[in-house]
Amino acid sequence: MPRRKIIKERVPTPERPAEERIKSFIEVNLGYTFELAVKEAERCLQCPANYAPCIKGCPVHIDIPGFIGKLVEHRDNPDKAVKEALNVIWACNSLPATTGRVCPQEDQCEMNCVMGKVGDKVNIGKLERFVADYAREKGIDEELLSEIIPGIEKKNQKVAIIGAGPAGLTAAGELAKLGYDVTIYEALHEPGGVLMYGIPEFRLPKDIVEKEIEKLRKLGVRILTDHIVGRTLTIEELLQEYDAVFIGSGAGTPRLINAPGINLNGIYTANEFLTRVNLMKAYLFPEYDTPVKVGRRVIVIGAGNTAMDAARSARRFGADVTIAYRRGEEDVSARIEEVEHAKEEGIKFEFFINPVEFIGDDTGKVKAVKFEKMRALDERDKRGKRKIVGTGEYVTLEADTVIIAIGKHPNRLIVNTPGLKVEHGRIVVDENLMTSIPGVFAGGDAIRGEATVILAMGDGRMAAKAIHEYLTKKREEQKA
Amino acid sequence: MYKILEKRELAMRNTWYKIYAPHVARKVKPGQFAIVRAFKNGERIPLTPVMWNQEEGWIVLIVFTRGKTTMRMAMELKEGDSIPNIAGPLGNPAEMKKFGRILAIGAYTGIVEVYPIVKAWQQIGNNVTTLHVTFEPMVILEEELKEAVGRHIIEAVPVDMSKSFPENMKNVTERLVEKVRELLETENWDLVFMVGPTGDQKAVFEVVRKFGVPMRADLHPIMVDGTGMCGACRVTVGGEVKFACIDGPEFDAYEVNWDELIARSGYYTDMEMRAMQEYMQSLQGGGQ
Ligand SMILES: Cc1cc2nc3c(=O)[nH]c(=O)nc-3n(C[C@H](O)[C@H](O)[C@H](O)COP(=O)(O)OP(=O)(O)OC[C@H]3O[C@@H](n4cnc5c(N)ncnc54)[C@H](O)[C@@H]3O)c2cc1C
Ligand SMILES: Cc1cc2nc3c(=O)[nH]c(=O)nc-3n(C[C@H](O)[C@H](O)[C@H](O)COP(=O)(O)OP(=O)(O)OC[C@H]3O[C@@H](n4cnc5c(N)ncnc54)[C@H](O)[C@@H]3O)c2cc1C
Ligand code: SF4
Ligand code: SF4
Ligand code: FES
Repeated sequence: MPRRKIIKERVPTPERPAEERIKSFIEVNLGYTFELAVKEAERCLQCPANYAPCIKGCPVHIDIPGFIGKLVEHRDNPDKAVKEALNVIWACNSLPATTGRVCPQEDQCEMNCVMGKVGDKVNIGKLERFVADYAREKGIDEELLSEIIPGIEKKNQKVAIIGAGPAGLTAAGELAKLGYDVTIYEALHEPGGVLMYGIPEFRLPKDIVEKEIEKLRKLGVRILTDHIVGRTLTIEELLQEYDAVFIGSGAGTPRLINAPGINLNGIYTANEFLTRVNLMKAYLFPEYDTPVKVGRRVIVIGAGNTAMDAARSARRFGADVTIAYRRGEEDVSARIEEVEHAKEEGIKFEFFINPVEFIGDDTGKVKAVKFEKMRALDERDKRGKRKIVGTGEYVTLEADTVIIAIGKHPNRLIVNTPGLKVEHGRIVVDENLMTSIPGVFAGGDAIRGEATVILAMGDGRMAAKAIHEYLTKKREEQKA
Repeated sequence: MYKILEKRELAMRNTWYKIYAPHVARKVKPGQFAIVRAFKNGERIPLTPVMWNQEEGWIVLIVFTRGKTTMRMAMELKEGDSIPNIAGPLGNPAEMKKFGRILAIGAYTGIVEVYPIVKAWQQIGNNVTTLHVTFEPMVILEEELKEAVGRHIIEAVPVDMSKSFPENMKNVTERLVEKVRELLETENWDLVFMVGPTGDQKAVFEVVRKFGVPMRADLHPIMVDGTGMCGACRVTVGGEVKFACIDGPEFDAYEVNWDELIARSGYYTDMEMRAMQEYMQSLQGGGQ
């Protein structure tokens, strides 16, 4: 590789202006063109794969300099450049259009990028997104897929996957590529998990998720929606029909605040609010039948990705939105890009306040929230966050809509399966992601609590590998 | 996609749908419900399998035409059409044990949810009396209930065309409360069970508590997913927040915070009316 001049500054990606985007659910970031992508790709120093800190930071260890290098290498032939780059990414990650958009890159691949020592880190996320988007628009992903399919050697063993979120979809895709007969059981009417019902359209357009799922169908994966495992059928029943089961049921049960007035009208969990808005498209009411009510003043409680998504969605209904968080700004867990976008869109932040009571009017509708002011101590908790204590001082903020975004627990219907070992509501697995029930594996938020898309996908991939080993052994035992 | 095998008008504003949904038919038990998304741009609404056949894979839904979705179902769905989504069964099955003498009440189309439960209760040796209170042209499941339980009482209230629908509904509530009081005064009961509009459930409960008879009720909060994921269906029972779709839908009437439930069920009334009005206008526009 010839030595290149160091370019300190990132090639920016165009974004829609804040005033325009708060009026619609259209995607905020417009992504790179091929020319811009190549310019950004040229900034990468091409650290050797065994040393590159970006690869170490990515939970699924994508060969990042490898795929970035392809863009530069074949700069005269964009289609070829993208196809080869996609091939590199697909070896570790089957949903790059999604992860390129939603990974917390600043804590992962981009965290220790060597370019950071002399200037801006390489924009790995946006490059990954570019490769996936370009490939999808030009049909290059289909082409690559059709080259893979004929090589798949069918095995006559069946695997059931519970939940069509990133963990389940990834496990299904990997197992299908290995030749297994795969069926996904999904409770909702659309596959995708949080990608479909949680993360809003303006951050992750739903047609992208749908196309990624279409690819799985092409690989022969069957998806049965409207099937709730634990009700429609049980894991025990699945084990009679399938040789192995993977649980990717996520952490869908919302946590509530134990304070008076929590059931007043106008108080939504983020899950309910986002499901109404995203999955059911309430922003298109009454063309779509599901209603949602967003008042003039909205308070969102919490400061993770879910809180940002809820706040920014509410803003798009014209509301005046405040995010209330019991800790300080340093502890905000959302992706930096989301926090910046939220601020640009005029969302206010109130730190060190903790809700203690929801106050209603005489029709049972919320009109204000009473908060206790908090104070941070120097002492830190296990997660490295400063401990907080109440000050005994209170403040009341008016609100006609309140959205609770303080976290979620794993789905109870699954967790109640007899014989399934569970701790703190999370499914317990061994180093091969096998649960306490032989042949039943699990991954994603179901074992981690609320985590990230890429960790869920990493689990899906690892579980597929473990299931493959388990089933290979089973095949050999049967032969013997 | 789930095919409609049979559709007919059972009574005024009550439509019968026999639908091929083998995954639900295979597993459903009395007391459970399904979540139906009847149209591609439609909402998810809870409806109850009233009858089912495991071998043939069908379920029967009986739907009261109430707002836009149920109206659209009545107007637009035809035999042979398919419904995009039916998820289920959901909720907990009703408890199957010997309670003794049971008074099971259904107001309006609530009787359809009562039917599979009382049929099973009677079969395991309970002595069930059912009471169906509704408008005269809306009486349904009469033969089925007579056959299923020890005694079936119908209180059919005539519709007074000179009065508004809500005023007419007041008459039904009055008749319901009177009849329940009479039955509690004259006979001994081990359990009262009721399904119907939340306001009527509360009115009945106010009478039952005076007699100290145990009472259980299937609650009807607004639901979205029905799988415990959203919390729309939360109700306060015994001072604790419960999710009706996974903890219920049946609860001890003495423990339910009725006023909260009534307030929550009415939260979208203005939007529902708007949706209904726009729909009616689109129908009058002759589908242009
Ligand atoms: C609003 C929001 C924003 C987020 N933003 C980001 C972000 O920007 N970046 C990031 O990395 N992470 C983000 N996350 C977290 C991330 O989405 C999750 O960690 C990830 O989706 C977990 O994947 P999963 O496959 O384990 O579960 P899920 O995505 O939760 O999928 C689980 C699936 O299983 C189904 N299911 C549940 N129970 C059953 C059952 N009994 N039977 C059948 N099916 C069942 C569910 O319906 C669902 O479709 C966000 C989360 C939320 C809620
Ligand atoms: C567990 C359960 C079982 C039910 N079984 C039956 C049944 O077998 N037959 C039947 O006719 N009806 C049944 N219902 C009631 C039925 O779901 C509502 O009548 C229906 O949702 C009304 O929708 P709509 O669009 O026509 O009316 P809308 O105009 O949208 O609403 C009218 C009223 O219906 C209620 N409602 C609206 N949307 C929902 C929703 N998503 N979830 C719950 N309630 C809602 C609200 O109280 C609302 O004010 C059941 C309800 C529950 C909770
Ligand atoms: S998957 Fe996520 S962490 Fe890995 S390279 Fe892509 S954006 Fe970075
Ligand atoms: S660490 Fe940065 S500069 Fe080095 S290979 Fe990775 S992206 Fe390129
Ligand atoms: S309907 Fe969503 S949790 Fe019950």
